[in-house]
Amino acid sequence: MKLIGENLNIMSKKYGKALKERDAKTLQELAVQEAEAGMDYIDLNIGPAGKTGEELMSWLVPVIHEVVDLPLALDTSNIKAIEAGLKAHKKGRAMINSIMVRPERMDALLPLAKEYDAEFIGLLWGPEGMPRDENERGALCAELLFRASEMGIPPERIYIDPIQTPVNVQQNQIMSALNFMKMFPDMAPGCSSTIGLSNVSNGAPEHLRPILNQVMLILWKRWGMQSAIVDTFDYELHKIARGERPELEALVAKVEDGEEIDMASLTKEEQDFVKTARVILGHTLYSDSWLEV
Amino acid sequence: MAFEPAKQKYTGSIREVVLGTGDKAVKIGGRSAYPFYTFEGEMPNPPKVAMEIWDKDPNGEWSEVALEPFKDVVSDPVAWAKKCVEEYGAEILVIQTKSADPNAENKPAVEVAEVVKKVVDAVDVPVVVWGVANHEKDTEVMRAVAEKCAGKNVAIAPVEEGDYKQIGAACLGYKHTVVASSPIDVNLAKQLNILLNNLGVPENKIVIDPTTGGLGYGLEYTYSVMERITQAALTQGDDKLQQPIICNVANEVWKCKEANQTTEEAPELGDQKTRGVMMEAVTAIDLLLAGADVVVMRHPEAIQLVKGFIEKMM
Repeated sequence: MKLIGENLNIMSKKYGKALKERDAKTLQELAVQEAEAGMDYIDLNIGPAGKTGEELMSWLVPVIHEVVDLPLALDTSNIKAIEAGLKAHKKGRAMINSIMVRPERMDALLPLAKEYDAEFIGLLWGPEGMPRDENERGALCAELLFRASEMGIPPERIYIDPIQTPVNVQQNQIMSALNFMKMFPDMAPGCSSTIGLSNVSNGAPEHLRPILNQVMLILWKRWGMQSAIVDTFDYELHKIARGERPELEALVAKVEDGEEIDMASLTKEEQDFVKTARVILGHTLYSDSWLEV
Repeated sequence: MAFEPAKQKYTGSIREVVLGTGDKAVKIGGRSAYPFYTFEGEMPNPPKVAMEIWDKDPNGEWSEVALEPFKDVVSDPVAWAKKCVEEYGAEILVIQTKSADPNAENKPAVEVAEVVKKVVDAVDVPVVVWGVANHEKDTEVMRAVAEKCAGKNVAIAPVEEGDYKQIGAACLGYKHTVVASSPIDVNLAKQLNILLNNLGVPENKIVIDPTTGGLGYGLEYTYSVMERITQAALTQGDDKLQQPIICNVANEVWKCKEANQTTEEAPELGDQKTRGVMMEAVTAIDLLLAGADVVVMRHPEAIQLVKGFIEKMM
């Protein structure tokens, strides 16, 4: 799996401040750390960034590329900032994060993807907001692919994002996103996929977020997810992405398939993975103390 | 081939919880199927209507319609309580400690608890003491109530994540029942029950308050959350949610605008009394269908309607 490091983010106290103050050194340190941690892309989340977006992205892209060679994911709803980022992106192929399946977003951003031969994340968020189930996800995906192909954008530039919801508010949406993922290869041959993984644990106690993210990644991986936007510093998660924890993958698959599991025979880590898979898959109801019950 | 109705497979049941003590103690819960699905499982204890009284005169806060049946007693909580039990046959009484509200009268905790104690002593039916959902004040009041009413097994509400340690400990110490209250959220309802268990509150001493939305004011959210609690408890064997449910209906219904506008103010909404009574009855019945074991109600005519409904459904 390819990994997109999410940590350079306007919402972060440290890096948000660095972005506002144009503090290149702090941001470059992070970029180097992300590269060393094995990220395949660095996400540059500057938020909506209003009037300053264009200037900020034009400044930021070369600053990051001064210290790393990784492709950058231009993460903002600001169309001018995206274009500025694409212009400034000289190392490898840039990624637009993201294009929603809304007419005004596609009209503005698909031509840029084409012009700069950029990759882009196609976020399955439609004119009426979040799709309600896998079928609405499918319909949005088909619409986006149709528009992209009409413009002559090749499928390998496209990363479909079926939208990750938090387990503690919209567990049923996780199921429909997973179901969508099962039909995705047939629906969109040649296309890639990605997911904003950390949202699964949004609102959960901070120290328990990694295990939710890790188990969720295993579930996505099982159904062919090709990349994920992740916490750069969750090294356990990277091992899973690289396929270094096959025993945990097998265990989570057993839970998903409804097989009997003898909890007493498992290690504490394995038990925690089983319990977490059960709350993500809705076999048991989530609560903040899910690992203790 | 004969018609075979599909049957839900259940993997759990709701625990029984006893409110009050002695001959008039009331057992709630115990259900092993969806509400009123007596063709699929047991419903040993029919749901109950609890009647609410206030610990202060509600003149000026209640509409004429709600006030009328209690006009003669609203200034005396003990007389009011007795009227509910003796005249209207209340099987459970709820005393809302409105006088404690720090944003209004802010009566000292000890005085509030004195009145509660008098009411509890004056009736033989179980009493639920419902606070004002202010963590600090409720903690003070409910500690005093728990101590003064020791041995009566009153139910104390609302016990929330922000005050469960203090109030939960008081309930534990004096063997009262905890009404665990969460803000219309199934995950938080589960979490609070886990926290109460960890504190040592036994499972047969916990009742869930999912937080009630009145008709037109979020009833559907409460309904959905109660459905999910019931599904988790009965079909997923979620033992942290297998508790009976109480809904504080009257307090929500009667504070909304439409329940209080006069016929003259809102002629398009029809007769004021019929409207208020129906809004209360319909909210209560909906919540019974979603899985409520106790509905807290105010107007005797609405109560009659709901009791009649329960009888027909059993």
